[in-house]
Amino acid sequence: MPKWAMVIDLDKCTGCGDCMAACKLENNIAIVSPEEANVGRVMFWMDMITTYEGEYPNIKVKRIPKPCFHCDNPPCTRVCPVYATYKNDEGLVGQIYHRCIGCRYCMVACPYTAKVFNWYEPKWPDEFKSCLNPDVSLRMVGVVEKCSFCAHRLIKVKENADMEEREIYDGEYSPACGESCPTNAIYFGDIDNKESQVYKLSQSSRSYREMENLGTEPKVIYLSKRE
Amino acid sequence: MEIKRRDFLKLLGGISGAVAFSAYGCNQIIDIPERLIEMAKKGAGIESWKNTICGQCPGGCGISVRLIDGIPVYIKGNPIYPVNQGGMCPSGHSALEVLYNPDRIKEPMKRIGLPGSGKWESISWDEALQIISDYMIKQRENNKSHQVVFIDGSEQNSLMKEHISHFMKAYGSPNYYQYPSVKNSSVPFQLLQGIEQIPSYDFFNTKYILSFGSNFLEEGYSPIYYSKMYAHLREETEARRARFIQIDSRMSLTAANADRWMPIRPGTYGALALGVAYVLIREELYDKQFVNKYTFGFEDWTDKNGQTHLGFKSNVLGNYYPEQVSEITGVQSETILEIARELGINKPSLVLGDQGSADNTNSTFSQMAVYSLNALLGNFNNESGLSFTDQPPLAELPEVKVDKLATIGNKQPPIGLSQNSAFPFTNFSVDSFIENVLADDPYPVSALFLYKGNPLFNALNHHDFAEALKKIPLVVSFDSFLTETSEYADIILPDHTFLEKWDEISNIPSVGFTHVGIQQPVIEPLFNTRNSAEVLVDLGNLIGESVSNALPFENYEQEIKFRVEKIYRSGKGAIISEGLKGSWLEFLHQRGWQEGEYNSFNEFWELLTRNGGWWNPIKQKKYIKNLFKTPSGKFEFYSQLLKKKIDQIVLSRGEDTPQNRELLINSLNISARGDKIFLPHHEEVPVDEGIPLYLTTYKLLTNRNGQSSNQPMMQEMFGYTNRKYWSSWGEIHPKTAAQNGISDGDWMWIESSVGNIKVQAKVHPCVMRDVVAVPFGLGHTSYGRFAKGYGINPYSIVKNKYDVINGNSAPQATRVKISRAT
Amino acid sequence: MRDLIKKYFKLLIISLFVISVLIFWAASGANPTNIQPIAYNHKLHIESVELICSDCHIYVESMPSATIPNISICEECHSDDPITDSPEELKLIKYIVEEEQIPWQQIYSVPDHVYFSHRRHVSIGELDCSECHGHVEEMTEPISYPAWLPSMDNCIACHNELKITKDCLSCHM
Repeated sequence: MPKWAMVIDLDKCTGCGDCMAACKLENNIAIVSPEEANVGRVMFWMDMITTYEGEYPNIKVKRIPKPCFHCDNPPCTRVCPVYATYKNDEGLVGQIYHRCIGCRYCMVACPYTAKVFNWYEPKWPDEFKSCLNPDVSLRMVGVVEKCSFCAHRLIKVKENADMEEREIYDGEYSPACGESCPTNAIYFGDIDNKESQVYKLSQSSRSYREMENLGTEPKVIYLSKRE
Repeated sequence: MEIKRRDFLKLLGGISGAVAFSAYGCNQIIDIPERLIEMAKKGAGIESWKNTICGQCPGGCGISVRLIDGIPVYIKGNPIYPVNQGGMCPSGHSALEVLYNPDRIKEPMKRIGLPGSGKWESISWDEALQIISDYMIKQRENNKSHQVVFIDGSEQNSLMKEHISHFMKAYGSPNYYQYPSVKNSSVPFQLLQGIEQIPSYDFFNTKYILSFGSNFLEEGYSPIYYSKMYAHLREETEARRARFIQIDSRMSLTAANADRWMPIRPGTYGALALGVAYVLIREELYDKQFVNKYTFGFEDWTDKNGQTHLGFKSNVLGNYYPEQVSEITGVQSETILEIARELGINKPSLVLGDQGSADNTNSTFSQMAVYSLNALLGNFNNESGLSFTDQPPLAELPEVKVDKLATIGNKQPPIGLSQNSAFPFTNFSVDSFIENVLADDPYPVSALFLYKGNPLFNALNHHDFAEALKKIPLVVSFDSFLTETSEYADIILPDHTFLEKWDEISNIPSVGFTHVGIQQPVIEPLFNTRNSAEVLVDLGNLIGESVSNALPFENYEQEIKFRVEKIYRSGKGAIISEGLKGSWLEFLHQRGWQEGEYNSFNEFWELLTRNGGWWNPIKQKKYIKNLFKTPSGKFEFYSQLLKKKIDQIVLSRGEDTPQNRELLINSLNISARGDKIFLPHHEEVPVDEGIPLYLTTYKLLTNRNGQSSNQPMMQEMFGYTNRKYWSSWGEIHPKTAAQNGISDGDWMWIESSVGNIKVQAKVHPCVMRDVVAVPFGLGHTSYGRFAKGYGINPYSIVKNKYDVINGNSAPQATRVKISRAT
Repeated sequence: MRDLIKKYFKLLIISLFVISVLIFWAASGANPTNIQPIAYNHKLHIESVELICSDCHIYVESMPSATIPNISICEECHSDDPITDSPEELKLIKYIVEEEQIPWQQIYSVPDHVYFSHRRHVSIGELDCSECHGHVEEMTEPISYPAWLPSMDNCIACHNELKITKDCLSCHM
């Protein structure tokens, strides 16, 4: 059973924001009104965190793309009263919208603030559905949503591989963010496979994971020369 | 780099208890015709992909559009297109919001109210073209064809440029201009090296990159091409990691990714570059062999009249010692020494100075100074990454047969530049143009055609431009949207969006190889729009044979085919394809092989359109001495071209006397005198005394030139780094903020001598002290429901200043003061 | 309150009865075959022309969606010269001649938050079409109701039986 993981090379990442846009488009993420956005209800599954270090003029700014970390020991799934968020055998932390009752416990539990809530019904009229990605369902008001590692792509990749009676090759399954990254800073693959690029990069001396001390075991691994 | 959850929450922005009841439904975001809905309903969900070229910015990335039953639903980078190699920027992803935008112009419109009143009525294409052609015929018959002006704001290096220029030539007007113009930006390279082209920089071999404000990841000609290049600097292996220093007055995206950011006062790049040159010369770290052999004007020299002239070396050593430079630039003299030494020791190196840094009155001279560092370091050999690309072997459009009427019109003086021009090296300055229109000098403008672009939003002096537009009897706009500028049009002839049309886009400036991309429709036009190229042909047909003969093609697609067929016949380069690396192609060619065999041109064309383009990474052999097309055949520290041009202007105005010369230099607003004018030097930027702060503006990747403001996704992402969505902000240094009693998040007034704007303050140490940085792109007063009324346009308070040599806008030359808004 | 209920109880019973009668009448009166624009006869095509499912449902083995055939497929055999004297064929020919799509009603569908793939079930899982669609080769009337309801219960039952994954993310997206 593969275990899907992402490696983000922060040394390569410029913080251009392409991953955010690719994600929004791929996953039919709603655009909230400007007023709502500015009170913190904006919806990005792939978010961008900006950090500042050092004293002027020796300032180091780093922008860090932040998807759901698909923790191996996810705090969010334990608190879900209805089994709407869970971890599957391949390590993906799923969010099943039709089960979600909108209690938002998982949002509180997530130390990485990776989840967003649908405060309003995104009004997608029937006509518009033809211009959306048909592979990703639309969410309704009152449910929590988050990055899925583009699990809908995995279904297709698996199907393609099964049709051709072969294994999924390294790099075949990539979320939208990694596919379009202009500096190829986002790698994706099976971290249990010692031949995969993701595994090799995760062994680098530059690798680290956010808030490792919490024991969440995130499957998004950052590479950075800086401490 | 430990981050706590609290930090994440903080970074997410305060979730306040404010209750608002609005949310954008998609019924507001899109507008699609019934036909498409039917297609989707009946479709089987069959997926297909089509390759084309992105038109969101002039960067020329190849894109692949995902279609479900023929309806575009997703866009990704074309993985085999060599410019972006599958990479994308945010704005490319939002292109579908252009296609489905509810504010698109769906049919030709005629204004019925006053200019700018927003009252329109729909008319048919036939009627619209009839009105325009009747008018144009009348102008031509009355020998006034030259009074028709065409301004092309597309910025894309597409076939459209030649197409329009052919049309104008055949019609009989010398007034076809590109604004903004890449040509203007290439002036510094023309002066020093004689090549009217933007150089391309290759980071593969370099060990050290010193960038003078070159914001190549954000504001460059092709940011994604440079992002790919940047990634090479950050390869896993330590040996490949070149050191990269960014000098800029604010922490741009590029600066944030540099190894070191050096804040500098706006408008002083030239001084710093010469300060670095001082150290290089003093410590003999420059490439003596190159300088002796291939440069002109380094040492003091004597001309054929026996007159001695100041050399680059004496000028630098005499005027730019580090302490002095430190005074001007605000960069400490130790730092200047440090970077100059690093630069001199780490070879090969590259010094970058264009792509977003040229935005002041002295930019041409500054860029000359910066570029001359490359000559000092001998960065013109094969190892270093500085090069100019060859033109693709595309067929020229057939020669225009100009009739008698057109000959008369073409002979008239162009109106894009005043006859007493302050700008010796361009054919168009928006400032002079406006002046000329308002003064009917040398003749009135009777019709103005605008293809894309939005000069009223992008130009520094909106008010005069609006007046000029009002004055012109017929203004025709070829655009897909109602912009600030097209509000003043009399007739709008709606163009397709780039996802619905054919075009040929080649050789993006600064990209390091020859290439041609084919833009093709991924979907049938959604509305009653037409490709402007074909509209021009239709107009030509209505005007008469001599005009229609200039573009003898069935349609625009055929015209592109005609051009491309020559590539097929030349046998050069290759259609882009999977796994075809430049080095492999070179290997094949050296052995007399050719990549790809095609039985016919149709086969070639079929593959070309399927894959998205053609490229040729192999440069024609260029000996170092062929790199310099100057009068001396060398790199000219002392620009003889500039000297000649200025001499010409002096003579054209009268006798060559010291007084006349002084008068001219004065009117050009050049403060240097004597030989210094023609040498790279620091020109003081004239500013309002007594106003304390510098205003700098910059462009973001999400919204270059304000063009993406009508796309909700880009509006939302506009301030993603600061979590300011759909709004503008002003960045100030904490000390500047404290001095003015402003804290982070406060509203503040920014006031210049021309006006004031109110923005939220972003207080952080990523901007130099005494500088206020405001992003450009928002603040539309038109351009659809998503653009209008969000944020502010900093150009509305920028003074009307231009580069003294190439006439480019100088938005950084304004001083402001700030105060807390209550 | 209680009085109120007592008072209207009879009335309530009577009205419920009337409504149910009305519904029954309406339901029985409606002819189920009317739901499709053409009374397509599967049996006839399969037996006499020896067509197999994938001849017309062309994507059933290669795509998630099997697709309902439309005029472009029908045209392969039918032209403006009728093959039979069936009035239904004349209807088809009218569509073909006018180049208009036949407005078939889709009978088997899943909600948009469910991913169902024919190729997964047919090509990879090697299930027979009849497992879900019943014995289509015996059907003379056009399909108007599902032989097997694609509900989550029914899906899971089969997945349980055949020991196929029940991971939410393999169907829900």
